[in-house]
Amino acid sequence: MKQALTWRLLAREWRSGELGILLMALVLAVSVVVGVSSFVSRLQSALLSESARFLAADMVVVSRSPLPEPWVSAAHEQQLQPTEVVGFPSMAVADIDHMALSSIKAVSSGYPLRGELLWSREPYGEVLATGAIPEVGEVWLAPRLFSLLDVELGASILVGEQPLRVSGAVRGEPDATTAVFGFGPRLLMNIADIPATGVIQPGSRVEYRLLLSGAPEAIASFTEWIKPQLGQGQRLDSVESAQPSIGETLDRAQGFLLLAGSLAVVLAAAAITLSSRRFGERHTQYVAILKSLGAQSPEIAGLYGRSLFWIGLFGTLIGCLLGWVLQEAFIRVLGSLLPVAPGAAGVKPILIGAVTAAVCLMFFAWPPLRRLGQASPLRVLRADMGIAQAQRSSDFVMGSVAIVALMWWYSGSALVTGAVVAGLCVVMGLGYMAASVLLSGSRSVGGFAGSLWRVALAGLQRRGRANALQMVIFAMAIMLMLLLSVVRTSLIGQWQAQLPSDAPNHFLLNLAPEERSELQTFFADNEILSETLYPMTRGRVISVNDAALPRWEELEEDGAPRQREANFTWSDEIPTSNALLDGEWWTADTDQPWVSLEEEFASDIGAAVGDRLSLRIGADALEVTVLNIRTVDWQSMRPNFFMVFPRKVLEAFPGMYMTSFRLLPEQKSLLNQLVGVLPTVTVIELDIVIREMRVVIDQVARALELVLGVILLAGGLVLISGVRSSLDGRLRESALLRAVGARKGVVLGALWVEFLVLGGLAGALASVGAEVAAWGLQTQVFEMSWTPTPLMWALGPALGALIVGALGVWSCRRVVNVPPVVLLREV
Amino acid sequence: MIKVSQLLKTVPTADGDLTILHSVDLEIVAGTSAAIVGASGSGKSTLLGLLAGMDVASAGDVWLDGVNLSALDEDARARVRAEKVGFVFQNFQLLPALTAKENVMLPLELAGIDEAGNIAERFLGEVGLQDRLGHYPTTLSGGEQQRVAIARAFAREPAVLFADEPTGNLDTRTGERIIDLLFELNARASTTLVLVTHDERLAERCDQRFSMSAGELSGP
Repeated sequence: MKQALTWRLLAREWRSGELGILLMALVLAVSVVVGVSSFVSRLQSALLSESARFLAADMVVVSRSPLPEPWVSAAHEQQLQPTEVVGFPSMAVADIDHMALSSIKAVSSGYPLRGELLWSREPYGEVLATGAIPEVGEVWLAPRLFSLLDVELGASILVGEQPLRVSGAVRGEPDATTAVFGFGPRLLMNIADIPATGVIQPGSRVEYRLLLSGAPEAIASFTEWIKPQLGQGQRLDSVESAQPSIGETLDRAQGFLLLAGSLAVVLAAAAITLSSRRFGERHTQYVAILKSLGAQSPEIAGLYGRSLFWIGLFGTLIGCLLGWVLQEAFIRVLGSLLPVAPGAAGVKPILIGAVTAAVCLMFFAWPPLRRLGQASPLRVLRADMGIAQAQRSSDFVMGSVAIVALMWWYSGSALVTGAVVAGLCVVMGLGYMAASVLLSGSRSVGGFAGSLWRVALAGLQRRGRANALQMVIFAMAIMLMLLLSVVRTSLIGQWQAQLPSDAPNHFLLNLAPEERSELQTFFADNEILSETLYPMTRGRVISVNDAALPRWEELEEDGAPRQREANFTWSDEIPTSNALLDGEWWTADTDQPWVSLEEEFASDIGAAVGDRLSLRIGADALEVTVLNIRTVDWQSMRPNFFMVFPRKVLEAFPGMYMTSFRLLPEQKSLLNQLVGVLPTVTVIELDIVIREMRVVIDQVARALELVLGVILLAGGLVLISGVRSSLDGRLRESALLRAVGARKGVVLGALWVEFLVLGGLAGALASVGAEVAAWGLQTQVFEMSWTPTPLMWALGPALGALIVGALGVWSCRRVVNVPPVVLLREV
Repeated sequence: MIKVSQLLKTVPTADGDLTILHSVDLEIVAGTSAAIVGASGSGKSTLLGLLAGMDVASAGDVWLDGVNLSALDEDARARVRAEKVGFVFQNFQLLPALTAKENVMLPLELAGIDEAGNIAERFLGEVGLQDRLGHYPTTLSGGEQQRVAIARAFAREPAVLFADEPTGNLDTRTGERIIDLLFELNARASTTLVLVTHDERLAERCDQRFSMSAGELSGP
């Protein structure tokens, strides 16, 4: 029986539209939370695969000695797929006049376990990804090795004592950045040919890699098993330790999505609060009637509790369904970005959605409905009795704590939560101050104004308290929308700035000083854009403060300070995209023996500012003092150096030059000509990586647009709920005005003024709050530089006034379309 | 029967407590009708609220059909209302979310009566609205809405029926028809009828008549 009554009330309320807004707010909260969190967990699994691609495996065991056979059998036993790779630098010889130091990589069948090995039949021919590796007795060469060795397809070259036939060109390896064996161009061969070459001797600098792939549990259990057995010169490379440059972009996108999801929760909570508040106010009279008919408080609470339960259940179910659709849309938009099919999202997103629904309903919807049970039945006799305050400060405090906890749980970041909460606090604090000053002063201004303004400003003041709350909620919604727009714009802007369309996509190393003019002529003749030439000298750090550093192969413990070879350059000024961490820069003409170290390099050799370094450059020795430590932006696509010296210190040493340049796809064949003209230079091709990154950025930017759209929808819903929350009072007053003879124009104009003022003030407050939160997010969360957004300060109030004004007048349009007597009877 | 002794009601104001009912005593015999008349602001609606157990007195007792309402909390008084009391209000107080039939069914459903639908139809038939069962209140005229309210009040067969200015929102002719209906049903069901009105002609039709003035009762 009670259930039937619940259903009847629910059905009728649905038709009246009140429940619709409440249910929509709930559905939106759940669907955005479920959609975004499902997408993020699927993205995370795709990210792992993406990272795995850079390892060519899920995990790699790296060893400086041959891999023990039991390790391979153990991998088989634990359902892992293994494949072995051996790498070392060695000479490739075509004939007595043509030999080149190459980075040799010998692979076995199955390589790569993740990602694709790209190759072509001709040096710069059509790229293939057929899953093949060089056959036994064959090699694939990096395109420029063809020029260096002056060989063509089918030629025979020597690696050690073994002749091997050139059968293809290696064009891309997934683990090119993590499996580097020396500095020369790549020579890929079959691992079965290694013994015959005879190049691996005791003391050879060889790296043995056991690549493994399989289920995460199997990887974890193998890791447990092998860790205690790792000896000197052996380590594990896991997905976590591989840091692809693309990872940062995806990390930030993920941060943005989680932020967006958190904002969606706040917006939905605000919409739910407003809808329930109005629902509660409108039901006070219902409850008074029910009580006059004998309904008791527990029955009333039960009635509304059951209604809320069903709303919650339907809202959660529909929200989960829509959330699934939303994440499918995300996956489709980003389909080409994800290298492998993303894994299942699991049940956690559903759990997050259900908890969000429960928290929103329990802390925001239930309090005003619960208090309905306390409504006095006397209202049936005394219509003028006030409505019990729908929201109390205790509800507000509990709700705020709940929503902050939810945001924290959801975003997993105290910084994200803190930045948004700081912005919201600014909005609320300033909002109430502004509301009390401006709205109370409005009437005195209105006294001098025309009738339309007098009506409007009197209305603003009369509902001062409700207007202040409404304004703060408008401001919060607009703030969150502005915030997300600003963060999205700056993220995408930064990504695009990182990869400008004219960014260099090739590096050229080992250019002799006398070859400089030849290179410049080649660039000029072929209209190739290039950076300036950087001097470069190769050298080695031997000791720090007279303490000798061990060589790489003598190292007893991974990560301990060791000798390092590096490219040195000189510069009068701190290089672009570098920043000083410690110490100071030198003056341009100094001849002091100083050096500037890159942060990680300094840590590798165990040096700090003020330490003395002994260096070896060729046969010469050099003593320098560390003057400063720098950070380097390795994503900048510019030549970067671990060690930088004053010009006068390094100029005396023989050195080579390097530069970077941009080659269009149709100019690619010029590379062959270039290495023909300058056969000793080394060219590093980054165009494929850059193209991949640009695709990723474009796709991620589209995902952000999609999420922003959803959040704007959520914000719009809050604004509609906010306008509707004061609808009855405004409709009644406007109907009365019309009843006493006010023209439609005056009534409508007064509504426009009232909502424009509210929206404009809310927009101004929102701009302040959004700027505070954007500062926090950009500097603390996304590690970007912050710049003020003057456009937002102009757009915030203007858009606020326009949107709130239009929504407000649209919601109240009935006041001029419906006879006043009908309206007065309804409200 | 209804018995009131030394009933006092004060309300807090900015200038201290304001007494709106002064030591009221009255008795209404079961099965009879009584009118409480007085000008606006005389305190008659306050007295009705206390008699029906919708409000609590500052002092004094209200006995309704043998139950001392002053000793009960709100939920216990609600139970008494559900079992013994029916209401007819000046502004009808129908739930706009429910049809005429559903409005009449509401108190029956709240009391857990199974045949709520049939009973509601029968009572709506008795007030002449058998053709308006599925209509919502906003589509009914004022007189029709009040007839729905009367059907709702009698459907539970209450011991006492309270009517607060039942004709206040109706024109004279419709008001007279509603009053005829109210008395006819009252006579048939032997209900105790307590009317609050400022209409002297209506008061004259009642067995007892009490006058309220400035919170004090005189008569019968």
